Amino acid sequence: MIDGMMAIAILLPVAAGLVTFFVRDYFARNVIVIVTAFSLIANSIMLAAKGPFTYTPSGFDWGILITILDYAILFFYVYLGISLRNWLVVTFAVTQIIPLAYFEFVMKAHVEVAPAFVVDNLAIVMTLIISIIGSLICIYALRYMHDHEHHAHLEKSRQSRFLLWLVLFLGAMNGLVFANNMLWLYFFWEVTTLCCFMLISHDRTEIAIKNAARALWMNATGGTAFILAIIYLYATQGGSQALSMQNIIGGTLQGSVLLLPVALLCYTGCTKAAQMPFQSWLLGAMVAPTPVSALLHSSTMVKAGVYLVLRLAPAYAGTYLSTAITIVGAFSFLGASALAISQTTGKRVLAYSTIANLGLIIACAGINTPLSIAAAILLIIFHAISKGMLFLCAGTIEHQIWSREIEDMEGLAAKAPLTTLITAVGILSMFLPPFGMLLGKWIALEASYTVPLAAVLFVLGSTLTIVFWTKWLGRLLQVLPKVGRPFEKLSLSYSFPLLTLLVGIFVVGIGIAPIYQSFISAATNNVIAGTQVLASGWNILTSGGAESGSFLGYFPVWTLYIVFAIALVLPLFLIGLKPTEMRPVYLCGEQVGGADTDDFSAEADIRTKVTLGGYYFQSAFGEATLNPVVNTVAIILLVSMIACGVILR
Amino acid sequence: MKHVMIIIFTLFVAPIIGGLLFGIDRRITARLQGRYGPPILQPFYDFFKLLGKERIAVSKLQFVWIYAYLLFMVASLLVLTLGSDLLVLVFLLGFAGVSLVLGGFSSKSPYSHFGANRELLQIMAYEPVLLLLAIAVYAQNGSFLISDIIRQPKPLMYTLWPLFIAVIYVLTIKMRKSPFDISTCHHAHQEIVKGVTTEFSGPYLALYQLAEWYEIVLVLGIVALFWTSPLIVGIIIALAAFLLELLIDNVTSRMTAPWMVRLSWTFGLILGIFNIAYIYFTKGVS
Repeated sequence: MIDGMMAIAILLPVAAGLVTFFVRDYFARNVIVIVTAFSLIANSIMLAAKGPFTYTPSGFDWGILITILDYAILFFYVYLGISLRNWLVVTFAVTQIIPLAYFEFVMKAHVEVAPAFVVDNLAIVMTLIISIIGSLICIYALRYMHDHEHHAHLEKSRQSRFLLWLVLFLGAMNGLVFANNMLWLYFFWEVTTLCCFMLISHDRTEIAIKNAARALWMNATGGTAFILAIIYLYATQGGSQALSMQNIIGGTLQGSVLLLPVALLCYTGCTKAAQMPFQSWLLGAMVAPTPVSALLHSSTMVKAGVYLVLRLAPAYAGTYLSTAITIVGAFSFLGASALAISQTTGKRVLAYSTIANLGLIIACAGINTPLSIAAAILLIIFHAISKGMLFLCAGTIEHQIWSREIEDMEGLAAKAPLTTLITAVGILSMFLPPFGMLLGKWIALEASYTVPLAAVLFVLGSTLTIVFWTKWLGRLLQVLPKVGRPFEKLSLSYSFPLLTLLVGIFVVGIGIAPIYQSFISAATNNVIAGTQVLASGWNILTSGGAESGSFLGYFPVWTLYIVFAIALVLPLFLIGLKPTEMRPVYLCGEQVGGADTDDFSAEADIRTKVTLGGYYFQSAFGEATLNPVVNTVAIILLVSMIACGVILR
Repeated sequence: MKHVMIIIFTLFVAPIIGGLLFGIDRRITARLQGRYGPPILQPFYDFFKLLGKERIAVSKLQFVWIYAYLLFMVASLLVLTLGSDLLVLVFLLGFAGVSLVLGGFSSKSPYSHFGANRELLQIMAYEPVLLLLAIAVYAQNGSFLISDIIRQPKPLMYTLWPLFIAVIYVLTIKMRKSPFDISTCHHAHQEIVKGVTTEFSGPYLALYQLAEWYEIVLVLGIVALFWTSPLIVGIIIALAAFLLELLIDNVTSRMTAPWMVRLSWTFGLILGIFNIAYIYFTKGVS
């Protein structure tokens, strides 16, 4: 039974990916992907129902296979680096090959870790996100890539290759969150980096390949830190048992020499989570087809980074390293939120918002109290749903107006009311009550009192968040007076994932109390010995929990959803307008034509269209202004984070 | 039962207080300008007259956002009167503010577009001060609950006076008084048409005004939180602050939006951070 479930979670996506690669028929390929997607979803729910367990595969020496594949991937990086003439890629591939070879052949390391996989509640929360949201994105990609290639007028379809890496990604992520053996974790880590490169470079344009190479070398520096941490652990802690994640976080190892490898691993997590100063790889990844962005940002890749930092939380609890991690994350939250204001491209706003929220999650892991860990897990869940949906919306919009620019989305509410409605809910769910992201932010703020500097950074960041989301949503809504705009028709491959995620936002948001009871409080317990945070509604009880009765706050979530429904949903459907009530907007009496035109008579009575533009504050928040500052500060913070691991034991 | 009474009080009495305050505002402002001024009840006359007007629509979405503005403002005030979490209050107030901005954005009108962008800058200016206030209150009391603030024997004013100054600053923005009547103002000092409310009319303008009545009670309520034992002192401070705002309004003129944001992000934040740091150093991090 367990054998079967693990095989479906990790190996089925790999097998399905390979099959889709060889199947050239559009219809057959769709069937395979859809069947795989639903199997993964069902399997993850069964895993959740089964609860925590440990597992070691038997009957085959998987260790040898993984070692061979490690070298295969790394030498493939070298090949890529040489063929692209990108010496950074070559350098950071070699810096992984040499330590790995030293580890295997000079140190003659023999690694036997039992159990190889530990599926605890944190891993189950992660696999639910990966399997459900990731699968929905794969379904969305079927139609999207079809339209994408149709629009690009490709001679030869490359959808099979795209689907191979997309589906394979899910298997690697499942392996990554289950793995207990650090060497295996490292292997899955490298597979996700490879998938990421393949997907970003998919369109094979010059810019795509350049950005994919940047993603590769930045993540390869993380991989280098990972392998160094493995060697250090193995050498100083006496062999195999040091390479078990459970031992690293369980306190069975010698604490004083543990901090350096943990700091290195947190650095690795920060590279993958695109924390500043590594944000450029994730921004560059925006050139890829939108399902890739949706996958990287919601359920895979960057979530692996925050997962690693969160997983290691007990290993650095109560140290200066923990505080340093908090500041690194909180600074990324502020910096990315500020930069998002100046962005004119929808997808780049989404990307900066992802970096900001990942920073918030990492900061919560660094604060390292039960309350903040619960906030981190909640943020991972809500961010995955909302951001996955927003990227799918961005893709749908792109295929309706063939542009990613926010200025081109002006008045989208008139052209595509359904897409706009879903996008609006997605945007509102990122920063306003009663939605989940705000719940996470709320708990994070309440938890941040132990690190006052982080609290201040959170406050500033969350204010800037309001500005850039509202600005974007405002552009979508600028419509001319007109009655009766029917919803547009969307392909099922678009509408099914979008509507499922839309329902998901509400179900998970409203059902947060029961969800918290069954998963998150248990997952928090896997990270840290925590107690109850949410009881009914959005009650917050501090560490020590119900018995000590220290009560932080209360968010009556049910009532707020009712207020939300009465304020927005009911009027939206109940306000019926008559054509006779329609009037043109005020244009100083210079309006020309009826209510549904936006012409006015300008100088010399020339009939001119009203044009409006958004504010982007380039001089204050532009990349040119802010990047030098934020990158410098971020590098200093990151160096001091690792220094905390070396010096302040 | 007590809760039901408080809810009924908030829903029905608060707007009456708010409307009266607006009436007093108009009267005092008129006197300061050497005019006689309208009767105190004028805002109510205006309100009922607007309600009876014909509905004029430039966009359906605009109406939706005006409802959201009103309802989230009421929800926010309920959080205050029921003594719940201060952060939640700020978040709900944020939703109300965002609704107003989106109401301004949801028609293709250049004037309401201007106003909406400026309203957004106003949110950017006051939001961090309110959030810092919540954190400072936590640092002082060990709780975010408003009911715990009211229960404390020692008023917040003793330790949070720097943030009190910052909150007065926020009050100017929230009451749309000069020099911060950036997005729209009440007495048409200097105005780009009617700012964010340019396209609001008839019954929906009435709803917007109703929301403003709730809002003024809410922000004065936040000011009153600085002295809650006895509460009457807090209310007197709030009313004094209200009169001070009227004076400031009439002796200053509107400044630019970037100036407002810069001032708030330096002056307001320094006061807030200084205040929190002071509490942490005297009380220690717990």
